Amino acid sequence: MTATEPKPAVQGSEAQGTRTLTLIQAVTEALREELARDERVVVFGQDVGARGGVFLATAGLQAEFGERRVFDTPLSEASIVGAAVGMAVRGLRPVAEVQFADYMGPGFDQIVSQAAKIRYRSGGQFTAPLVIRTPSGGGVKGGHHHSQSPEAYYAHTPGLKVVMPSTPYDAKGLLKAAIRGHDPVIYFEPKRLYRAAKGEVPAHDYTVELGRGAVRREGRDLTLIGYGGVMPDVEKAAAALSKEGVEAEVIDLRSLVPWDRDLVLTSVEKTGRAVLVSEAPRTANFMGEVAYVIQEELFDALLAPVSQVAGFDTPYPYVQDKVYLPGANRIAAACVKVLNY
Amino acid sequence: MIQPFTPDPLSWVADDGQPIRELPARFTPEVLRGLHRDMVRAREFDRKLVTLLRQGRTTFYAQSRGMEATQVGLARSIRVGHDWVWPYYRDHALGLTMGVPLLDLVSQCLGTNSDPCRGRQMPHHFGAGRQNFVSISSSIASQVPPAAGNAMAQKYLGVDEITVCTFGDGATSEGDWHAGVNMAAVNGAPCLFVCENNQWAISTPLRGQMASETVHVKARAYGMPGYLVDGNDIVAVMEVLAHVVEELRRGSGPALVECLTYRVGSHSNADADAEKNYRTREEVALWTARDPITRVEGLLEHLGHPVSAEERAGLIAATHREVDEAVGQAEASGQPDWRIMFEDVYADLPVHLREQAAFLRAEQTGGRA
Repeated sequence: MTATEPKPAVQGSEAQGTRTLTLIQAVTEALREELARDERVVVFGQDVGARGGVFLATAGLQAEFGERRVFDTPLSEASIVGAAVGMAVRGLRPVAEVQFADYMGPGFDQIVSQAAKIRYRSGGQFTAPLVIRTPSGGGVKGGHHHSQSPEAYYAHTPGLKVVMPSTPYDAKGLLKAAIRGHDPVIYFEPKRLYRAAKGEVPAHDYTVELGRGAVRREGRDLTLIGYGGVMPDVEKAAAALSKEGVEAEVIDLRSLVPWDRDLVLTSVEKTGRAVLVSEAPRTANFMGEVAYVIQEELFDALLAPVSQVAGFDTPYPYVQDKVYLPGANRIAAACVKVLNY
Repeated sequence: MIQPFTPDPLSWVADDGQPIRELPARFTPEVLRGLHRDMVRAREFDRKLVTLLRQGRTTFYAQSRGMEATQVGLARSIRVGHDWVWPYYRDHALGLTMGVPLLDLVSQCLGTNSDPCRGRQMPHHFGAGRQNFVSISSSIASQVPPAAGNAMAQKYLGVDEITVCTFGDGATSEGDWHAGVNMAAVNGAPCLFVCENNQWAISTPLRGQMASETVHVKARAYGMPGYLVDGNDIVAVMEVLAHVVEELRRGSGPALVECLTYRVGSHSNADADAEKNYRTREEVALWTARDPITRVEGLLEHLGHPVSAEERAGLIAATHREVDEAVGQAEASGQPDWRIMFEDVYADLPVHLREQAAFLRAEQTGGRA
């Protein structure tokens, strides 16, 4: 048996409307469609087979595609991630699941030394187009081994692409684009939105380009920028501000590497104010890079210093779960401070 | 029949070249002369590269002197360009014998435009697409899990290829080693793990590395056969590998072959005086007497086809000429410029790298386009 070239994707003309899906259903659907489209795609990780993953992201896929395409692995992040590198080098399109982003530690060297570097160090002779899916972020009473947001580690590594959706539409479109792309992608799934985020998802095939942000709400007074699990609170804060007559423009970055600088800069140039929101610890937070670029490019256009709302520089706490996260009130307060500067 | 888990290294030829057991028919004097030639070529490459290092024309080199029988024997036991190899950083004799062009190897060590890896890695960390010789990395044992995945892909694709993964004894202490070997075993992947046990991990001896008597016994714990071979006896290396490779192609799942050898030289130029610092002259002398090249010369003499002093000198001179020519060609190709730094990070150049490249272009050209 040999893997064949992928079938052409179903085009928009064959669209059958949209359905309402949860974010995790959108992930499952993306995996199912890519498994069906391209025989080189394999899905694996700890408990992803019969069990369907601890969050059931891969539920039903092994029954549908068999143990050859969807399979369980030993409990070893180094070997899950490392094997994905070898499979990708040999011509497959591996989609590996690491059960929690907090557990990526043992696979870290495989990600940063192997997956991220092999194209570069071999002069393009070998490449590793793989996807590592992993639930990340807090809000589920998981303590610090099930709630961390380690995206900055990976965004800091040249050679990796880093993605975090916040809507079912993006979750499906970004995952499909990641699987079809030619670079290693770390695909963070905000676990508290798995079932909380519901939305319209087209029935036809589509992708969301990596590196493009999305404007969730238009506004003139300030720009609110976030990604992943904080987005519902960002939008809640914007709605509350609107009742006070303040119109915030809301941007969802969707991709951290590469990130949509044009979208961000165009918006902040228009509004003159920026508040950056993420739940990762504040020091060396990815949003620090966004803030840096804004001040470098738009210093004269800024009406107030760029503000950041982030997690605290503590290990993620268990009991204080909700206090740790930057909720709508904290976000709105930061906006008010910026507006009153 | 070759049995796994023997307590002593499997040998065919004694240190002085006398066969210990019946010499397999395929080792004709002509074949042995070819293997001898390969080993001399690898050793002289070593010698010339150390000279380049001393001249300051390269910055790092890790000799494989003393380990030629293991690496040449391995190269001659697989299908080059068909099978896949995930090597470690002391494998130039393996690469050279697999047909990686000597110019490419030299160019990689010098970081010139003729380097297929484009000067991105420190010297001696090469990769060769045509030979499926995957780019060498420095982090110890990090090639082991990818090798398992490479073999899993081969099984998935239903091809009769195998994957070879090489490492030193030190690598077996790393978590990645255990993770990768277990992954291959659980999945029945056609991965041949070859431990080039040269008994030293920089200055840490084998006994500081592990408490088990040998590496090959670890295979039993992972559910695969393990073999202990005299790594300085090229006949033994090739006989065992012929058996194991055939089993792997038949779908037996992975196997571990430990080649017991010795790194006669230092780890690298970073510890140039190994004997003085961390090992005895007696130990080095003992292993020098077990030299893999003189052993084949002894065997050829025993068979009535001795290598004459003139022949050996001719082989050495030919390799030196070959390396000198390659160095000349490599240096004439020049050093890669700043542009290549930004290429191959991603499949396409993203906007932030385009901007950083533009910044460097302006700096390098004084503002001229």
